[in-house]
Amino acid sequence: MRLRMLIAAGAAALCLSGPVSAETYTVSASADYSGPFADVMPNAMAGLQAVVDYWNAEVGKDLGVDVNLKIYDMRYDSSVVAKTWPAILSSDEPIIHLGFGSPDLVTLMGRLPNDKVPMLLGTAMVGLVWKENGWHFSIRPTYSHEFAGLFTHMQQDKGAALKIAAISTQNQAGFVDQVNGVKKLAEQHPDRFSVTSVQWSETSPVSLTAQVRAALADSPDVMLVGGTTAQVIAASKAMEELGQRVPIVASTHNGLYEVAKGIPLAQLEGSYSAFSFAAPGKKNLPIRDVFEKYKKDGSWGLITAQAAAQAILALRVLENAVATVGADKVDGQAMYDALMAHEYTEEQLLGALPTLDYDTTAPFPVGDIQATAEVVRGGEIVPVQDDWFPVPMLEKW
Amino acid sequence: MRPTGIWFDSYAREARVLETHRSRIWLLLLLAFLLCVPSFAGAWFLGEMTHLFITLIAVYGLFVTVGMAGQINIAQSAFVGVGAFTAAKLSGMGLPFWLVVPSAALVTGLVSVVFALPAARVRGFYLALTTLAAQVMFPIVILALPMSWLGGLVGMPVTPPSLFGLSLSTPAGFYYLGLGFVVIAVWAAFNLPRSRFGRALRAVHDNDTAAGVLGIPVTRIKIESFFAGALFAGVAGAILAYFLQFVTVSSFTLFTSVWYLGMLIVGGIHSPLGPILGVVFVTLIQEGLHSAANALLQSGAAIGGGAVFALSSVALAVCILVALIFEPRGLAHLWHTARTGFRLWPFPRT
Repeated sequence: MRLRMLIAAGAAALCLSGPVSAETYTVSASADYSGPFADVMPNAMAGLQAVVDYWNAEVGKDLGVDVNLKIYDMRYDSSVVAKTWPAILSSDEPIIHLGFGSPDLVTLMGRLPNDKVPMLLGTAMVGLVWKENGWHFSIRPTYSHEFAGLFTHMQQDKGAALKIAAISTQNQAGFVDQVNGVKKLAEQHPDRFSVTSVQWSETSPVSLTAQVRAALADSPDVMLVGGTTAQVIAASKAMEELGQRVPIVASTHNGLYEVAKGIPLAQLEGSYSAFSFAAPGKKNLPIRDVFEKYKKDGSWGLITAQAAAQAILALRVLENAVATVGADKVDGQAMYDALMAHEYTEEQLLGALPTLDYDTTAPFPVGDIQATAEVVRGGEIVPVQDDWFPVPMLEKW
Repeated sequence: MRPTGIWFDSYAREARVLETHRSRIWLLLLLAFLLCVPSFAGAWFLGEMTHLFITLIAVYGLFVTVGMAGQINIAQSAFVGVGAFTAAKLSGMGLPFWLVVPSAALVTGLVSVVFALPAARVRGFYLALTTLAAQVMFPIVILALPMSWLGGLVGMPVTPPSLFGLSLSTPAGFYYLGLGFVVIAVWAAFNLPRSRFGRALRAVHDNDTAAGVLGIPVTRIKIESFFAGALFAGVAGAILAYFLQFVTVSSFTLFTSVWYLGMLIVGGIHSPLGPILGVVFVTLIQEGLHSAANALLQSGAAIGGGAVFALSSVALAVCILVALIFEPRGLAHLWHTARTGFRLWPFPRT
């Protein structure tokens, strides 16, 4: 009898001393493997997965939490998002959704407050959806804020007012919104910025010579081409034809890396790409080291850096949610509350993003917004500087 | 009497779409099955079926305009967009969905008349270009109008549908909404060729000069064919607006119009069964491959996502090509051939 009791006690001790199983949460993510961003998607998803793997191995293990990243190809199509989301919600019960682009934004922003799942986008916001009390957020401010940060830096270098010409397209609401935001910047700071002209073109123009000639008539210091890669290529070729060279400012989706696939980098000498996550070529960048250590495939670059930044912010939010409600009680509401309640420092974000703070007034970081940029210098794409640019306050437009 | 032994004792019985008692039972069973789907299917499948119903209604509109009247139309997606934006606007004004949907259909029909007027003077490629103008103009007009009218650059949110206080904005709700309207669309499309209007459309399709000589008002019939096709598009647009809960111009592109036309051609352009077979075939292949690719990606397989989805797109294109190579007259003709062979077995078809 006593022997049996001893054996039973030993067995119970063995069972109890085993590893406690981790609580597993699902983070869903939208991808575009069949639409306009199919060529960059492998790197983007590699960035997400590497950061999740890092977090599971080095942070989640100690918290008793494991994150399962589930990627869905939404084909950059609102109807695919609309028909897939209810299934994601019911079968995966995600605690946060990592969105990609405007189809996710327009389809989900009305549903998320009811579904109680916050969404974090890696792409910049647009002023058109600058609404309060949403559950959709971006790791970046609006494109116009990012441009404003770079323009502020350029204006300070110049000393006098910066003259900005813009070429864009009216086929996409977001691209028109970029120009409207920059116009707002000029309106708020007329002594520092002026928009000399706005030229509209097709999304994929064959030639922009006429538009560029018209834009150059006012001797702008910089030409904003925030729309498509094809527009940047056409603008650059047009300037070659006209024998002029004015720096082009683009964003990330149509930035220097993408344009360099179509024309030689030498043609883009002095041109910029503005954004607000850490430039992939930045010297000291812990998030890059994490990616290189944990990657299964893909290579480090702009889109990888953006996706990695998106993932690290989501996971730091999860850490705060776990600290508040416990490892076994995290849900979408807890994630939303954690995003609102805490500031996320650059150090916590492994240098991927500047210090971020969110509130209910805007779907992007508020407070001291910061941006950065890359430039083509000596035939190479390099960060403009190691530090972030402060972005001037922009009123809603 | 048919070779299979089926005979009719009146013209009315012979003229029925479902000629035999057995075929009527099969249809009832199919309807009963479709009604029961939400009780065992998950949210993903219900979403796919809802989207299939919406696409089917839009393609039936093309069947009327292109298949029956022979009027080429590559702006069906734009007409769906007109229906969607109309529905968004009317739902925002508080109208219930059972008023919004027919209103959207009517508005879309009236808009289509504007682009149908050139049909009186041109045909073939020239008419295709005219309808292309409609597709191109659609986003420009929406974006140019004041934002307070149709949302402009931003787009418009759509108030979720409800019926007697019950919200229909669940996967099952949207499914039943789509099913209800697709049943009406299928019934209309199967009966239209047997109507006076349908026969006039067929006459205009076969030879509009001869039709005119016979006293058929050709211009009016051509315009009415666009109107009728746009009614279907308006209904599809309204349901799509409720489904997406937000409408923007980027959802209604030329690519989608071409896709609708492709489904009609694959299914069979001249048969009312063609749209069903075409839409189901293309959707099955496309979504089946896509789901398999998603599952492969999430299983952690060594193959990269880019390769997986590229292969699935290639596979979809190959399936469509194979279907058209082996049966250029569409899957409906293949069905008709198979059914005739089955009925006459063991006797040869000829």
